[in-house]
Amino acid sequence: MTSTHTNSHTEAAKMEQVITEFFYKSLLIILESRSSYVSSRNYSGEQIVSSPSSSSSSSSSVRPRDKWFNLALRECPSALENLDLCPQSNFEPVVVDVILEQKPLDWGPASFSPTSDIVRNLSSKNKNSYFWNSDQDESGSEMKCEKIIERWFVHHESRKGRDFNSGNRRSSCNNLSALYKKLILMLRSLYVTVRLLPAYNIFRDLNSSGLIRSFKLVPRVSSFVEPLTRKEEVDMQRFWFTPVDTSCGRLCLSVLYYSSISDMSSESSTPMSPQFIPDYVGSPLADPLRRFPSLPVSHGSPSSLPFSRRHSWSYDHYKASPPLVSFSPSPTHSESNALVSNPSSRGLPPMSLPPHPPEAPLAHKRDTNFDEQNLPPSPPLKITRAGTSRTDNIRVPAETDATIEKIFSFGKEDCWKYSGVKAFSNSSPRISCSRSSSRSLQDDFDYSEFPCPFDVEDGEMMDPGSRPESYVRRGNPSDPNEAGLFMNRKSPDAAVGALVRMLEKAPPLRQNVSLNFSEASRPEILSNSVPKQSQISEAVTVEHAAAPNIASFRLVASKTTTDALEELRGYKVMKNLLLSEGGKAYTSSNVASAAEHSSTSKGT
Amino acid sequence: MNCEVCQLKELEVEHFEIREVLRCILHTIVFHRALGLVRPKDVDLELFEITYVQCGDVELEKKIDEKIDHFISWVEKHPNKKSQICLSFYEVKSKQPSWFTNKTERLYWEQWYVNLNVTQHPKHHSSKSHHTKLIVDPGESATEERSCRRAMVEASLREVLFQIIKFVNEKKDHVPPISEGVIYFPYEITIPRKFQ
Repeated sequence: MTSTHTNSHTEAAKMEQVITEFFYKSLLIILESRSSYVSSRNYSGEQIVSSPSSSSSSSSSVRPRDKWFNLALRECPSALENLDLCPQSNFEPVVVDVILEQKPLDWGPASFSPTSDIVRNLSSKNKNSYFWNSDQDESGSEMKCEKIIERWFVHHESRKGRDFNSGNRRSSCNNLSALYKKLILMLRSLYVTVRLLPAYNIFRDLNSSGLIRSFKLVPRVSSFVEPLTRKEEVDMQRFWFTPVDTSCGRLCLSVLYYSSISDMSSESSTPMSPQFIPDYVGSPLADPLRRFPSLPVSHGSPSSLPFSRRHSWSYDHYKASPPLVSFSPSPTHSESNALVSNPSSRGLPPMSLPPHPPEAPLAHKRDTNFDEQNLPPSPPLKITRAGTSRTDNIRVPAETDATIEKIFSFGKEDCWKYSGVKAFSNSSPRISCSRSSSRSLQDDFDYSEFPCPFDVEDGEMMDPGSRPESYVRRGNPSDPNEAGLFMNRKSPDAAVGALVRMLEKAPPLRQNVSLNFSEASRPEILSNSVPKQSQISEAVTVEHAAAPNIASFRLVASKTTTDALEELRGYKVMKNLLLSEGGKAYTSSNVASAAEHSSTSKGT
Repeated sequence: MNCEVCQLKELEVEHFEIREVLRCILHTIVFHRALGLVRPKDVDLELFEITYVQCGDVELEKKIDEKIDHFISWVEKHPNKKSQICLSFYEVKSKQPSWFTNKTERLYWEQWYVNLNVTQHPKHHSSKSHHTKLIVDPGESATEERSCRRAMVEASLREVLFQIIKFVNEKKDHVPPISEGVIYFPYEITIPRKFQ
């Protein structure tokens, strides 16, 4: 009797131990697949070996508790911590709630509260099921949203009236081994099931992606929980594991879960509500110096890039000669400042936003930026110059004619100027009309009819000492060094005018020859649109002419025709030099030598 | 002892999906029948959003892969045919030894039939060059159709896995007792004769 009693007591104790360990193991399986960063997925433990002979070695590396139910799992501290709170002696039911918790985000200004937007968006989208429990902390400024996405029940239903002492020892052993086998099978299927439920995808994403998400999974173990609402129970699905009979009851395991929660996790990973971003990379408001690092550096100044980017959608390529230097600094500067100051106000905390969604548009914007820069409306300096000269040489004659007509419309005596300038313009597209960084877009469009045919390369100004600004501002024709051949940032008209003035100031072919162009002769010459050789000679001496002597004029005219021709040849040489390509610098010395040549030939 | 048979739901798969699908199903079944000490290994499918579990036994993994290769080659020889692969668990019983025979016999106590309907889609021919040629963008509708089809296959595969879990849970009595030192029960993977 006593031995039987002892045996049954032993058996009962074993049974109790098995059931207790079953509770522990099942909770461990659930928690280690729902708690972040603690999972057998990350467990780099030893793999078992197939041969039974080495089982001892493998078992030595297995903790004693791992051997229960032949399932070696990583210890889960959170699970253990939770289990410490659970009563294990009297097999009270254990409920594990897997909660999807929305983290409160620090968005900066209190006025911008995307958390509420997220909640609103989520709740509005998932109209049929999900409602979020939102809690406010003591400060009242943050909102924490929770949603129970799974509820696991592990409990032992006691069967009263069953006698522990019934049956012999052998049947008890059989019962225990059979029970143990069945519990192994149940736990195997539990292990597989937790990985097939939707919550596991969230867990896996949280653990593996390394992204900072706005949500997390929080398992909560307790014995007493609030019942779910009717709506939740209707929306959730239940899966029952076949209960396993024990000597005193049966072990039950079941789960309530939402069949689809992927929407919630994907929404949660992009918490920002749609907003218009005014200063995206590539926009005119963006920092002009912000460039994609892999882009080729333009030959021009960095400030030329924002100009090109700015005008990539609005700029006519054929008018793109001027933008060699950046546009006016003030808007750029203010924009860059705005960009710097905006992120916080726009609510872009660097840490809490998941990088992927912004990166995707950013990459797109980068690509856009790249595209914009690959299609420069105004190519970098050297390229621009070449293209410009080619383009503008085609267009120069007609437009320069018009320009010159405008300039000289006030001066009837300037027919020679007209022709001379025209020749010069054809041959010397070096005079820049727009190189200025301060040139505004408005200026460009104002002078769109008169594209600057002349560009001067950096550092290749004829007179380094002269400054285009001073020329533009002063407009003083008295200084030949400043006139004509230098950059005229303001307008091509002024440049042509400067050229004309230079020519006017040029020393006469003959010092003692006085040419007096009568008023009558000028209109005659003016009426000719094509410069004639005789007219060219007239261009040299007009301003300095004394009272004309008609007879001597004819003599002089015949004598100076040759000189004029030579001068014309000189101009042609200059023109060819300028037209010769690519980056050949038209030095000021060439111009000077040509001018000297022409003047020398006249002198002789 | 009765032999429990489980006919799994038929899956319609494409050729390139056979390996992953079979690995998932076969390993899931074997994991439920590896009642010795195991350290489970989670494996994420590449084609589907499913994680299945392996025993972690290298030899077992190799044997299953070999059988899958054999099955795939059979499918290639018999295109557009419904196919089946059978995973059987048995016990080795030695016959009463006699003078002439000393054989052992296998007593099958469980058989799992995995039913596959392999669609030989011309787009997904096994030939690489053909595959790359035809992978040229067929348009948005084809992409949507493909993703829809993929989702259906994933849902079906999930159903099959739950079918396995339910079967394992509902029928436990026929499973033999666990032997000491044995990790998984003896098994064999075959292609039924009627399908050969």
